[in-house]
Amino acid sequence: MRLIGVLCVLGGWALAVAGLFITSSTGGRMLIACLGIGVSLYGSLGVLNGYYLERAIWKK
Amino acid sequence: MTGHMRTTGLLIAALGLIGVLGFAAPIRAAELNAADTVLTGISTPKAEDIAAKGDPGAELYGTANDVTMADAKKGLTLADLANQAGQNKVAINFVWTLIAGFLVMFMQAGFAIVETGLCRAKNANHTMMMNFMVYGLGLFAYWVCGFAIQMGGSAPIANLGGVYPVNSEYVVNFLGKPWALFGTKGFFLSGATYDVGVMVLFLFQMVFMDTTTTIVTGSCAERWKYSAFAVSTIFLGALIYPLFGNWAWGCGWLSQLGVNFGLGHGYCDFAGSGVVHAVGGLTAMAVAMQLGPRIGKYNRDGSPNAIPGHDLSYVMLGCFILAFGWFGFNPGSTLGASGNGALRIGSIAVNTMLAGCTGSFAALLYMWIRYGKPDASMAGNGLLAGLVAITAPSGFVNTLSAAIIGWVAGILVCLGVEFFDRAAKIDDPVGAMSVHGINGLWGVLSVGLFADGRSNYGGSWNGVSGSVTGLFYGDAGQLVAQLIGIATLVGVIFTMSYLVNWLVDLVVGQRVAAKVELNGLDIPEMGALCYPDFQLKASDYPVAAGGSSVASSAAAYKG
Repeated sequence: MRLIGVLCVLGGWALAVAGLFITSSTGGRMLIACLGIGVSLYGSLGVLNGYYLERAIWKK
Repeated sequence: MTGHMRTTGLLIAALGLIGVLGFAAPIRAAELNAADTVLTGISTPKAEDIAAKGDPGAELYGTANDVTMADAKKGLTLADLANQAGQNKVAINFVWTLIAGFLVMFMQAGFAIVETGLCRAKNANHTMMMNFMVYGLGLFAYWVCGFAIQMGGSAPIANLGGVYPVNSEYVVNFLGKPWALFGTKGFFLSGATYDVGVMVLFLFQMVFMDTTTTIVTGSCAERWKYSAFAVSTIFLGALIYPLFGNWAWGCGWLSQLGVNFGLGHGYCDFAGSGVVHAVGGLTAMAVAMQLGPRIGKYNRDGSPNAIPGHDLSYVMLGCFILAFGWFGFNPGSTLGASGNGALRIGSIAVNTMLAGCTGSFAALLYMWIRYGKPDASMAGNGLLAGLVAITAPSGFVNTLSAAIIGWVAGILVCLGVEFFDRAAKIDDPVGAMSVHGINGLWGVLSVGLFADGRSNYGGSWNGVSGSVTGLFYGDAGQLVAQLIGIATLVGVIFTMSYLVNWLVDLVVGQRVAAKVELNGLDIPEMGALCYPDFQLKASDYPVAAGGSSVASSAAAYKG
């Protein structure tokens, strides 16, 4: 789960940078960069943090 | 009388120089040799006059007598004047940058008492000692390799006389573009980097790195094992911070997005909303997530409890110290006060002041309206949030934009604290992830929105001519560059911090035992109480509501 989270976070960055090569349009690059940031945030706050929340001490 | 004569003499000499350089340019090379052009007719005060009468009016000091001559027998030449002017410019910039660095160094004291004040008395020694030791640990790591990785390829820096010894950057070519990854000169400040300009640059950059490391200690306070903190801090100062610092400030690939991809002036971060604060805030999140919340922070149903700090006066005083230090942080980032548009320091200082003010005001109003009281600690965090947010755009925006940026930051920090507390459930005793993480990212973004295209730091920035201009002033490309910077922070820097601290957890163990946490970290971790004469409660986790579930959590830890 943690590995998937890490890959998701890194994948968001890779997507944002790939946008620079995918299109030369400023609007397109902006959109892809925002999408990449969203994927990274999902990976960190959703997947990774979700892993720790499932094992949270107050649930024990 | 003497003063008039001196002024007249200097005026004649200056007019003569302008005439020769300006109107007789074609014959300049042939007939004017600055080293041979001896200046005469300059009347200067005699040493015996000063010795006899003193100089109460400050009229006799600072004359042509004080210009260093290469050859005293020949007399004062044009070359002597030009060299003295150059030395004075660099001297002004050295002194400005060093004093700004000293101010930033003093911010460590502010961070120390803000964080300690927001923690419980039973952990005060531990929290204070983490803040104290980031200075030594961070400095050591940065001297060994951090500085070289970050600034080893950053030359030339004109305001500091060039700092030419740091001139080597490791670059790879990928998909037809150069990607500058890290510097390679300046390890241990040895070899040619034993250089006065490099030393000034090192001191200034080192105190910035130290600010980053001290952000993490706040979020992880009251449950972080001291040994794990020490190892984690060394990695942050030696590797993680310097890498992003290089990409943004050391001629790395983010700063070259303008040159290589036509995105405005590349990633722009004037004083470090991203480089310093977002790196610190995201690292804090990565570690706090792994540590888990303090015992008693959450009830069995997941609802949070407030755990008040032990000294609000510490917190407010610390905020003031930090606001004072920020006048080194932002205006000091011109790396000078003379030349290349550095006179903009006045504007940068006012922007800094304004954003802190509106941030504090916005946070105070938000809390007052939402919870019925003007919360002191959140007003302090609002001040810091405004300062964090204005750090990146401070050199590129006008005062109205600075006020708006600070205002938004003040609201964001309140929303951020609520988000981490209630939704993400990542325990952050001091709100550092909201202050530095969220508002660091907001500061980076705001450059791409509010930069007004009026700044001029020597005619170009990051190798692109003209002024940095944001979306609202006509350059959407700059916003894309800032977004790529944010993607790198949340994608790469967070991941690096997470993996490094995962490793630290496996090898050292990140969290103290439950018994240690409940009794306070001061004795078990540090060997001494911060307040030995005070009566401390051994397990003073808070509030009646949810008390049983808190006890269950504690029991689970003990087990």
